[in-house]
Amino acid sequence: MASETKLSHTAAMILQAIDTGCVYGFSIMEMTGLPSGTVYPAMRRLERDELISSRWERQSIADAEQRPPRKYYKLTAAGRVTLEASRKRYPLLERMIPSPEARSV
Amino acid sequence: MRPALRSAVGRINRCILRCASLLVPRDQRADWRREWNAELWHMRRSSSPPSKQFSWKAEQAAAAFCLGAFQDAFCIRNIRRQNREIAPSQHGSAGECLCWLAGLLALSCILARVLPGVYMESHPSRYQINPGLILLQRDLFTDSSAASITGQQFLDLKASRQRGIDGLAFYRMTKETLSSGLHVKPKWAVAHANFNLFALLGGPESLAALSSESARGLSPVVLSDELWKREFGGNPKIVGSVVRVGQSAARVVGVLPRGSWRLPGGADAWLLQPDAEINRSSVGYVVAHTTRLGQAEMYGDRLHVDGFVADDPDADLWGVSFDERTRGPWTIFRFAIFLAFLALPAVTSVSLGESCFSSHRPSHIRNLYRWIFLSAKIVLLLSIAYFASLDLSYWNATGYSALSEYAQLASTFFICLFGMRWILLDQRERCPVCLRRVTHPAQVGQASRTFLAWNGTELMCTSGHTLLHVPGLPTSWFGTQRWMYLDTSWKFLFAGTGVG
Repeated sequence: MASETKLSHTAAMILQAIDTGCVYGFSIMEMTGLPSGTVYPAMRRLERDELISSRWERQSIADAEQRPPRKYYKLTAAGRVTLEASRKRYPLLERMIPSPEARSV
Repeated sequence: MRPALRSAVGRINRCILRCASLLVPRDQRADWRREWNAELWHMRRSSSPPSKQFSWKAEQAAAAFCLGAFQDAFCIRNIRRQNREIAPSQHGSAGECLCWLAGLLALSCILARVLPGVYMESHPSRYQINPGLILLQRDLFTDSSAASITGQQFLDLKASRQRGIDGLAFYRMTKETLSSGLHVKPKWAVAHANFNLFALLGGPESLAALSSESARGLSPVVLSDELWKREFGGNPKIVGSVVRVGQSAARVVGVLPRGSWRLPGGADAWLLQPDAEINRSSVGYVVAHTTRLGQAEMYGDRLHVDGFVADDPDADLWGVSFDERTRGPWTIFRFAIFLAFLALPAVTSVSLGESCFSSHRPSHIRNLYRWIFLSAKIVLLLSIAYFASLDLSYWNATGYSALSEYAQLASTFFICLFGMRWILLDQRERCPVCLRRVTHPAQVGQASRTFLAWNGTELMCTSGHTLLHVPGLPTSWFGTQRWMYLDTSWKFLFAGTGVG
């Protein structure tokens, strides 16, 4: 299914942002410039379609840093395949949200 | 002032999140709020000025961030609703089918426990009688439930030496009142039997030991369970008391358990009398015990008895085995199933319609599930047929009757036959992958173009696994239904809303 899924540009941006290391909602908002009302619902749908998965940060880590624990997102294998297809479909995607390696270059 | 304002705005933001969380399904609400509160904390921390001074711009951004929670909450709500809409595809699922069958089975089981006739019939141990007993009748084809031998004939038989028989007992049925008081009571079926009847049948030891010597004075009477409960209110002290049977007094010597024996006549009470008191002209039943020689000479379940019938010298006496009356419902059930399976090809094709267009085959585990499902349906159907046929046949019967047996045979046969037909039809229309019934039939092609392209009905699995093509006009190249397995390229048609 994943290889056949055609993402919207917004969803592709969010996937790209997660792939570049923005692993929680607010960082994705900062990276993409999209509002919370767009980012979080899109992430719910991506999670529903098993393109991303989420997990809660351990409480002990958050306690050590004196902050509330966050929910982290990461790409699934299907999400990675879909992202590859989306990069071909949206060639500017990697320019808009470059990966850390590309940025360092 | 500024910290107070900052705190107030923070409370408003949290209130916004709380309101938005009410839109989220209850089981996801706590997790959702935890994530948004954490995100809000991080958002405020990153957008606040370093000096921690109040900034309208930062608070506006935080409020805008929080308002986005409503869109997220609506999204989660929609996703849940879509999942619920997919859930009705449980309609027609294998589990639903088995639940219905199990429900029917439970209903028929409950009825079988409640109906007294069914209970008696399905507990054959309660009416076990001595082996080798036969019921004498005057003709080979006489209805064995009808009395045919007079008291005089019984006495003649008893006096003569009988080949293959070593014990005889006689009883005749009358309708008489039976009560402990003088007020008017309904009439009951009373069997006037001679003393050795219980010993011959193999009744309780205390009753079998009764003899004319031991029961001096009043005649002993044995009550049926039903009469004891209805006439005497189940009084446990009834044994030993004197009751009136018709015009004469008798002493109650025992109560037979429900469903004991299955003698013709359906006696409610047994009045034991010595041979001398047998009414010679009245017609009744003769129970005989056969020796080994007699059993060897039986034709099937019948034995010819050498006996001279004074008023009809040409008449034959035949003994009919009690096996037919005491075999219980299981034998009839097995025979009816055999007949139903024999007749099944006449009402439907026994094929499961597993051919498909391509070489694709479901995995072995899927095939195993299919066979387990089919077997479960058959087992449930046979169980339903057993109990439902008993319910139908014995719902109004209080004891054995040939009519009930025929009814059981017929009802079992028809339930099994048409039940198996339904099972096969149902199985043929179940997706081999998910075992759901295929739906949305669509007519494809035209009958006039049969030789150019196929025409028939196309049904689809709502989960998007398969399409079923059923030819409208079977041809040599498309005679039976075929499955078409859908690959992943079809998924988008069944996936509901797309991503993003």
